[in-house]
Amino acid sequence: MDATTAMYVAQGLHGLAYGMILFLVASGLTLIFGMMGILTLAHAAFFMLSAYFSYQVMQMTQNFWLALLIAPVVAGIVGVLCERFLIRRVHVMGHIGELILTVGISLVILDAVKAIWSTDSLYVDIPECLQGLVSIVGMEYPIYRLFIIGLALLVLIFMALILYKTRLGMIVRAAVSDADMVNALGINVPLVFMLVFGVGTWMAGVAGVAIAPILTVFPGLADQMGMDAYIIVVVGGFGSLSGAFLVSIIFGLLSSYGVQFVSQLAPILMFIFMAIVLVIKPVGIFGERE
Amino acid sequence: MMNKTTKWILWSVLLVFLIIYPLVFGIYYTNVFVTFAIAALYAVAIQMLLGFTGFLSFGHAMYFGVGAYGTAIALVHIKGLPLIVSVLFGFASALLLALVMAPLVVRLSVTAFAMIHMAFGMLAYTLALKLRNITGGEDGIGAFPIPPLRIPGVFSIDMTDPTNFYYFAMVILGVSIWILWFVTKTPFGCLMVGIRDNANRIDYLGFKLPQTKAVLYLLVGGFAGIAGSIFALFQNLISAMELYIMHSFIQIMQIMVGGIGSFFGPILGAGVFAVLEELTSRYTQRVELVIGLILILVIMYFPTGLIGMYHHFKTRFFTRQAD
Repeated sequence: MDATTAMYVAQGLHGLAYGMILFLVASGLTLIFGMMGILTLAHAAFFMLSAYFSYQVMQMTQNFWLALLIAPVVAGIVGVLCERFLIRRVHVMGHIGELILTVGISLVILDAVKAIWSTDSLYVDIPECLQGLVSIVGMEYPIYRLFIIGLALLVLIFMALILYKTRLGMIVRAAVSDADMVNALGINVPLVFMLVFGVGTWMAGVAGVAIAPILTVFPGLADQMGMDAYIIVVVGGFGSLSGAFLVSIIFGLLSSYGVQFVSQLAPILMFIFMAIVLVIKPVGIFGERE
Repeated sequence: MMNKTTKWILWSVLLVFLIIYPLVFGIYYTNVFVTFAIAALYAVAIQMLLGFTGFLSFGHAMYFGVGAYGTAIALVHIKGLPLIVSVLFGFASALLLALVMAPLVVRLSVTAFAMIHMAFGMLAYTLALKLRNITGGEDGIGAFPIPPLRIPGVFSIDMTDPTNFYYFAMVILGVSIWILWFVTKTPFGCLMVGIRDNANRIDYLGFKLPQTKAVLYLLVGGFAGIAGSIFALFQNLISAMELYIMHSFIQIMQIMVGGIGSFFGPILGAGVFAVLEELTSRYTQRVELVIGLILILVIMYFPTGLIGMYHHFKTRFFTRQAD
């Protein structure tokens, strides 16, 4: 394979890996914002928090796998607590209340993180078995990025199975489409929603741990990713996992090829894409409802 | 209801306070006050959209920013531009943007309206960041000449002096806020509230919904532009950071803290934020923590804001209710 093609393939894989990370964050947001209709701007803050937790676990145990296991769960628990004691109470006020509350939560998390871990970039090592390069059709590519793609796919399949093949998933989908009815059938809907919120936060946490070795851990981690995840949920259509998946991949590829061809304008491409989609179809690509 | 005399006394007290404020408090607090007043006009303009008409926008920082950039770019490129005209440049450029956006947004539902504003707001932000030769990127446009306020042959006032600028800003911002207040008292203002409460009914009454919203949208965009324009003149610097989405959220928060749906709520909210930032940055490093906690507390316990709190306590303690 000649150098140019190899470069295209490498950029494509890079884009895919970034798209997959985006999808991990965005799919959690699809659950919370798209399906349950909770406008949370704290999602990216949990993502960042999980990255810091993973750093802390790595510091204590030197074990990446343990970090991958523990950090997202702890972040998920923090998310559940926020939902149970704060967000649930303002849900009746509609989106403005949630907006302000979650901005407040993310400000508090951000400042707490700065106070505990300082504002420096913290480095997390890639585990030994994932270091190094692998040769794909005559081209060297870092194993770790392939691992991210695999991890995201795994989480995606796991979630799709739960959502569409289990009784729990059925209850969740029913509760999303008509909470009152499901409640009347004797199912504890607030508990279901709390669980979904926790799972959504956990997924953002997984993405946070996965990205920590690549980008290093710093307080600004939440900004870029949070915005991108938001745009993906909106462009893909509220509550549509396949929409979020498609748009995540498109955004990943847009950003990696964009950097290659029009490096100056790469970040604008996403917003132009979003603006075009929303002007044509305000509910998003796969969106059916508001 | 207050009678006319008390009203006049209150207005004159306010006027006297505004006039002697810079003489009493010195330059530093004068500048703090101008910052507050700019935020107040901006928040009042957004309130027209959010509180009176019920449309949530996540991207109005773009109108603020375009107004600021309009003024700054005009001052950089046109030599000897009068001050008032430069403010009009800011107003006009925000109005122009609103004119382009209006056909796209006036028919949308509330959520789609908020989201599409977020998209265009972020687009404006990244454009301001990346179109380096026009906007200066992260550095922004700074140190452009601030022309004196003058009528040729009559007078000329130096606007680089903070006290002079304070009076100028107060007049422009005060008149703008008064115009917006006046609009809420006109039949058009009633129409806005009607759209919020029952859009279908307004439609059946024979009013043209999209056109009404478009007029309101232009008004809000234009006055946000004036706030931005004054901001650019005041700071003598405008950078892409002012277009960031957080600057759209802060206004919504000020409205919430002050009281949604009341005209003077946003002014109160802007004042609370100004005082908070002043106090927290003086006594603690953790400004964000304090503001975050206050936001959580306000939304959990006083969701109607300060104005709502006032009415709550007033009815509780100062009115007799039939049991």
